[in-house]
Amino acid sequence: MSRQTEQSAGQEPFDVDDPRLTRFDVVREGARRDDIEIVHYEPQVVAGSKAERRLVRTVAGFFLLTGLAATAFLVIYIWWPWEYQPGRGGDKLYTPLLGLTLGVALLAVGFGILTWGKKLLPKEVSIQDRHGGVSTEDQKITGQTMAYMVDELGVKRRPLLGVSLLAGLAPVGAVVAAPLVGGLISDPHKDDQMMTTGFAPRDGQKIRLVREDGRPIRPADISAGGQITVFPGVEHGVSNRYADSPALLIHLRDADAEESRRNNERAGHGDYMWGNYAAYSKICTHAGCPASLYEQQTNRLLCPCHQSQFLITDNAKPIFGPASRRLPQLPIEVDAEGYFVARSDYTETVGPDFWERP
Amino acid sequence: MKRRKFDIAAAPANTGRAVDERFQVATPLRRLLNKVFPDHWSFLLGEIALFSFIVLLLTGVFLTFFYEPALTEVIYNGSYAPLRGTPMSVAYASTLDISFDVRGGLIMRQMHHWAALLFMAAIVVHMLRVFFTGAFRKPRETNWIIGSLLFWVGFLAGFTGYSLPDDGLSGTGLRIASAIMLSIPVIGSWVTAAVFNGEFPGTIIISRFFIAHVLLIPGLLIALISVHLGLVFKQKHTQWPGPGRTNANVVGERMFPRYAIKQGGFFMVVFGVIALLGGLFQINPIWLFGPYEAWVVSAASQPDWYVMFLDGSTRLMPDWQIDIPIGDGYVIPPLFWPTVVLPGILVGLSTLYPFLEARYLKDYRSHNLLQRPRDVPFRTGLGAMAVTFYVVLTLSGANDVIADKFQISLNAMTWAGRIGLLILPPLAYYVTYRICLGLQQHDREVLAHGVETGIIRRLPDGRFVEVHQPLSAADGNGHGELDYAGWVVPKKMNRLGALGPAIRGFFYPIEKPVEAPVSPGHPPVEPRAEREEIGSGETRS
Amino acid sequence: MTSDNDRRRGLLARLRGRPVARSRGRRRLGAAVRLVAALMLAGGAYTVLAPGASAQENPPLSGAAAEGKALFDVSCVTCHGRNAQGVEGRGPSLIGVGAASVEFQVSTGRMPMARQEAQAARKPEVFTRDEIDQLAAYVQELGGGPVVPAGENLHADGNVAIGGELYRINCSQCHAFSGGGGALSSGKYAPSLAPATDRQIYAAMLSGPQNMPVFGDNQITPEQKADIIAYIQQSLKHDGDPGGFFNLGRYGPSTEGVAIFLVGIVALVFASLWIAGKS
Repeated sequence: MSRQTEQSAGQEPFDVDDPRLTRFDVVREGARRDDIEIVHYEPQVVAGSKAERRLVRTVAGFFLLTGLAATAFLVIYIWWPWEYQPGRGGDKLYTPLLGLTLGVALLAVGFGILTWGKKLLPKEVSIQDRHGGVSTEDQKITGQTMAYMVDELGVKRRPLLGVSLLAGLAPVGAVVAAPLVGGLISDPHKDDQMMTTGFAPRDGQKIRLVREDGRPIRPADISAGGQITVFPGVEHGVSNRYADSPALLIHLRDADAEESRRNNERAGHGDYMWGNYAAYSKICTHAGCPASLYEQQTNRLLCPCHQSQFLITDNAKPIFGPASRRLPQLPIEVDAEGYFVARSDYTETVGPDFWERP
Repeated sequence: MKRRKFDIAAAPANTGRAVDERFQVATPLRRLLNKVFPDHWSFLLGEIALFSFIVLLLTGVFLTFFYEPALTEVIYNGSYAPLRGTPMSVAYASTLDISFDVRGGLIMRQMHHWAALLFMAAIVVHMLRVFFTGAFRKPRETNWIIGSLLFWVGFLAGFTGYSLPDDGLSGTGLRIASAIMLSIPVIGSWVTAAVFNGEFPGTIIISRFFIAHVLLIPGLLIALISVHLGLVFKQKHTQWPGPGRTNANVVGERMFPRYAIKQGGFFMVVFGVIALLGGLFQINPIWLFGPYEAWVVSAASQPDWYVMFLDGSTRLMPDWQIDIPIGDGYVIPPLFWPTVVLPGILVGLSTLYPFLEARYLKDYRSHNLLQRPRDVPFRTGLGAMAVTFYVVLTLSGANDVIADKFQISLNAMTWAGRIGLLILPPLAYYVTYRICLGLQQHDREVLAHGVETGIIRRLPDGRFVEVHQPLSAADGNGHGELDYAGWVVPKKMNRLGALGPAIRGFFYPIEKPVEAPVSPGHPPVEPRAEREEIGSGETRS
Repeated sequence: MTSDNDRRRGLLARLRGRPVARSRGRRRLGAAVRLVAALMLAGGAYTVLAPGASAQENPPLSGAAAEGKALFDVSCVTCHGRNAQGVEGRGPSLIGVGAASVEFQVSTGRMPMARQEAQAARKPEVFTRDEIDQLAAYVQELGGGPVVPAGENLHADGNVAIGGELYRINCSQCHAFSGGGGALSSGKYAPSLAPATDRQIYAAMLSGPQNMPVFGDNQITPEQKADIIAYIQQSLKHDGDPGGFFNLGRYGPSTEGVAIFLVGIVALVFASLWIAGKS
């Protein structure tokens, strides 16, 4: 209210119903009441001029283009053959055409509105006061009001109230959190699940290595310099339920196998290989991606996620990148029927590292 | 004719009166309509993020009608022949259905994804604008913090969103996320087991991510965005220094009609650009990735661009594992540092920066005028340093693609990233600092000596000198020193007397203004009598 | 010594992986084959250790193989040596690599090699189809090895859905989900499959060129190979992109990130410049 009086102080009183006032005068007065001074207000086009007519035509053109494009969108949406067909047929144009028509429709309406606002409306410069200044008096009054509330509650004089309130509410807070935490919590070491995989022998039966279609694997199936992804031959072994289990079975060439055996011996994994075959966990010890880019000449295994490189002939030792731990080796042998089996589960923890990993 | 009781012409006024008698909105509404906003292109960057968020909400709601968040295994039997008969999760199958069996579903999916990328890109660009112009200073620190939180919440929204299709690429990302959670010392395995309800991947993660992605995170985003905009409104927008502009006023256009119309038009433009992107540029072709299977991976596996810097930091991290020989022995894996500690530091630094800077400069005043980046070399340098750091990490996140396409050794790329991460940011700081000083000096020279005219004059003694046009009435020596006002100094003859370009037109010059009463250059803003101060309103050396 | 081992293990591998019709009987013959292999290995080793003994020249070459030898002696002998026995430090022995290997290396222009590199790159091929066949026949007759079946179209009855699954489990880790290829360690790379023909893909799987693992017929049967080739040729290469005119090279999020800045942000910044412009 004080601002209003300040405004009208120097001038004659403002009467909104004064017939001499133009609408702009009223608007300007309204702005002044909001501490805004319209200092510059200038039409960009002369009413009825050629320039105005041209701009109006442009804006109208934009809006009509919108209608046209939107109609095209609907026509295409309804009648275009859109179902997937192999090859490069018309169905591959469905999404692009929808995008094109929708995009043109939206852009045209956007530029139509923008041209209207930018070119046809008067240019203006207004100045508004910020009133950033703070009133220390108000601060004090509000502060006193709040302090007064606290006084009236009398927590200081009646400390028991405060203490008992806190003591009473603390468990309530815990009650709110309990169902969430209690519901979510799940023992990560239940059934020793972090340390075991599908290759752990069941009922004394060694688990076969199988392909993605469940068939077991004979040594002759993999050529030297070849590799195959193998899964535990158990029910649902080839599924994400056994996300930790998949291994890479590699048939090394003679010299590489020789070196690999020597290094295995040193690592105490002397009998983990069978012949020239070695199996390593496919799950990277760094972040769990399938490390499976096997280079058959250099015997490096690259993980495509973070470029950790493992040297297969040296017990899958990490030789480059962020991984800090060998890929666990799966001890393998060939059973009486000539198929690969896991002699035991992995002897190290599979997958990414964690705090209590033994 | 005049029989009818209902007078159409008086209807708006009557309705208005009726509403105001009940809600008393006339005054606040007028205040809203009259609110003044300064006009500058860089103030529109945040709007891009806001508008893409609206598009995200619109397209996202559409997608929820067809998406099924479940990991139940089904055999796909939809239209896309190359996957028919493949076992996959319901989540993946329903995303394929959106792409191939729901009419117009693919463009919605793609628009949603592009809008998400644009949302994050606009947030970053907007944040850079705010940083480099000092718009985060008191009283706007809170809004800066909310803004940086918006980036991280948007990051979570993006991550939960692109994990939903359960395709090969996003599943790999989810696998890495689980490894990141596992790497947290002491509680890692418990956190992971709580999130995945047991071992990765479990069967519930997708439905948990779904509710986070469609309810919790958008709710948080809406809340943060509302406060963000509310504060901009309350505190009024910052403005560049210039004639008549002070720390205590806002010079610009009233919200209605022009400013609001421009905003509405810009929303349509943003929407249109997203529609074009969604239709013309293929994004996230999940049908090529196949369903997520723990043993399947593709070369060049990357997350979306705004997560890529964390992927990069992970790739560059050396294999430093910390073994703690207590009891059975404990491990802090190398993954922990670049993916948990680094983002933690970044969140802390980015949110605290306004306070750190105020403390360093001992500047606790309120600032409503922006600073040109050149005028605060140390901040501009720090910003350049941060940008360089981020860019090196992001590029490293795609270093295998770069290595492959430009035929560089992958290992060399990793080493280049490691070294670059240490060397380039300080270098960027130094170079930026020097450039800022150079620009400052040039401004001062022009203010002191005038604009280069390009006219070479030969003096009687044979020397050649260039004639300078002084910017102010010259003193006896032909020198008229002007104070720097924190704003653009005209450096070309055709810029004299104008803030905007003297040659009008955006892409091509409009040489002959027709009919319209054009004021040449900036409109004459006469300061009111009580405001003497013209210029930045701040002291500068 | 490594080249010796190359030769020996190559021989063994090719014998095992020879694409004869597989039957249950053959499995029983495993031991016998291994015995034969051991004998051949010994023979091979002898050949290596006694390079002077040129006993292998004795069997008469067929017509095509003789033509091939003539070509070989002009273009390949420098690195692979007389009778394709290899030259230490320059080129490996070709005894036992089979026609498949020749077919892949020569028809993709990788051989003859221009210079020694980390990895031979695809180049315009030097030899005609007939000449490649002759070279292949020559190397095949030298030491046997895997052979690509006849015909240009090897995926006629392939199933793209099965091929897709096999592709993702066996191929995509190096060649990427799009077939665009990817980086390997230290400058090596898996090439793009875009220019590869049916025969070249088949030959690559059989022979495991450079660092590519070998996918013998026991591991991936000829029918499965046809499925994989069908997936590559039809779904990856021939199918158009349903999601737009531009597929951004199918590099995934990296080019999408570039696009959002170069297209989205740039377009909208221009729009803001215009909106807030003074003109």
